Amino acid sequence: MSQSNTSAKSKDEKVMEMVQPKVVFKNVSKTFETKGEDLCVLQDVDLNVAPGEFVCLLGPSGCGKSTLLNIAGGFEHTDTGSITIDGEEITEPSDRRVFVFQEYGIFPWASVWDNVCLGLRKLPKAEQKRVAQETIDLVGLKGFEKAYPMELSGGMKQRVEVARALAVKPDVIFMDEPFGALDSLTRLTMRSELIRIWKQEKPTILFVTHDVDESIQLADRVVVLTERPGRIARIVEVDLPHPRDLASPEYARIKGELYELLGVKDWG
Amino acid sequence: MNIYPWIGLAVAILALWKCQVFTKVILPAAVGLVVVCLWQLACDHLLSETNPTPGQTLAAIFEIDDNGRLWSDAAASLFRVTWGFFLAALVGIPLGLWVGWTTRGFEALNPIIQALRPISPIAWIPFAILWFGIGDGAGIFLIFYASFFPITVGTMAAVRNISMVHQRSALNFGLTGVELFRRVVLPAALPQIITSMRIALGVAWLVIVAAEMVGMDSGLGYLINDARNMGRRYDLVAATMVIIGAIGIVLDLLIRKFEDFDEVRWGYVKR
Repeated sequence: MSQSNTSAKSKDEKVMEMVQPKVVFKNVSKTFETKGEDLCVLQDVDLNVAPGEFVCLLGPSGCGKSTLLNIAGGFEHTDTGSITIDGEEITEPSDRRVFVFQEYGIFPWASVWDNVCLGLRKLPKAEQKRVAQETIDLVGLKGFEKAYPMELSGGMKQRVEVARALAVKPDVIFMDEPFGALDSLTRLTMRSELIRIWKQEKPTILFVTHDVDESIQLADRVVVLTERPGRIARIVEVDLPHPRDLASPEYARIKGELYELLGVKDWG
Repeated sequence: MNIYPWIGLAVAILALWKCQVFTKVILPAAVGLVVVCLWQLACDHLLSETNPTPGQTLAAIFEIDDNGRLWSDAAASLFRVTWGFFLAALVGIPLGLWVGWTTRGFEALNPIIQALRPISPIAWIPFAILWFGIGDGAGIFLIFYASFFPITVGTMAAVRNISMVHQRSALNFGLTGVELFRRVVLPAALPQIITSMRIALGVAWLVIVAAEMVGMDSGLGYLINDARNMGRRYDLVAATMVIIGAIGIVLDLLIRKFEDFDEVRWGYVKR
């Protein structure tokens, strides 16, 4: 366990040394005021994410992982510290870094096609058409271009949202428990689909989840956050090739480590 | 007594119980028939002879149609309602969108809107006549007033209900200004705007009758007053009431057509 700890830490330092990191969280703290009381949700979070890396933020509910993502997306602000992407500090949302929400951020009043075109407004018509079709094909929604979200299943709606994000070729994609509202079988399919798309397009992905299995199946590194105030408990590297063998001893070892970090015993 | 025909009827009703034709046509028609029968019974046994029977009312509808007043008075009422309602939508929807979206606009205008809203349009009749005289102008003003508040307040509420994820999606993809309104604010609010227009049209149709009874010299409301004053023709009063109800149903059916568009259908399912 201590071994993976050190290797993970060195990876974080390696990212700093070897390549220009894509996303840098530096000393990020955040306090909310509720009913006159200060509620510290994040404390001194430091993290470097390499370009094209898939990082999961794992932690119990209310640990501030979504807040961390919201700050990185530019929707909220830090009290201290900073988050930079390509060395540029984030102050507001931008289509260079796109959010995928759990509760369906796609527009129900627009067709699949129009939803995917949302970020392509400024492109010339022909280019817009090409990129939209390409992205729709990529997420496996060919034939559903004219459908409206209410006619689609939960999994397909999330495909639309992923397509909407991918279409603008963003530097970073933030995913806030994107598969949380799906049934467990669809969730498994969506994970492997996400990995397939990620391997093809190689965007940097920051993925928030409270599902241990989800984090091991997806991430290059799992950042485990403590309960409030959220701090990084440990960064666990998942050095397993995709598609991952869920029955492998290494998988079980990482799972045990994560559960232990989250303070869960008797996980089976 | 032979009970077999009754058992047969019961079986037939049970068999039809879930059938579309039964639930949408036969059942409501049967209830309507019962109401008309009760009306007839009340005329026969309870009410004085001044009260019109269903048959007399039907005859009176043909009389109104024959003397040409059905179309001229219905047209007069519809003319006022259409213009008043149209102007209210024209002002109320953009205003509601703007006030709903901007915090400052809301803070500035919401109190005055809420203060004026509970004043019945009927109470404005004296001023309407003072300003516009007896005629279409006063009617249109009153209908404007009556429709304006449901539409504006409904639109405001719709905009303020736009979900956080949709607002953030709009921000995320850099939508601003006109584009933000066209692509997100208006379409997100549209289902509720249509609902508020439906409510407004219902209110408008109620108000126009009252306004015409008090302060106008044409229209269905005026027809009711006229029928009562000129020889206490309660059959004509009842006939006009039936016509008012029928037109009201048609207006509601027409405006509900808006709910069928693909762009708004999402707003009406499983809420």
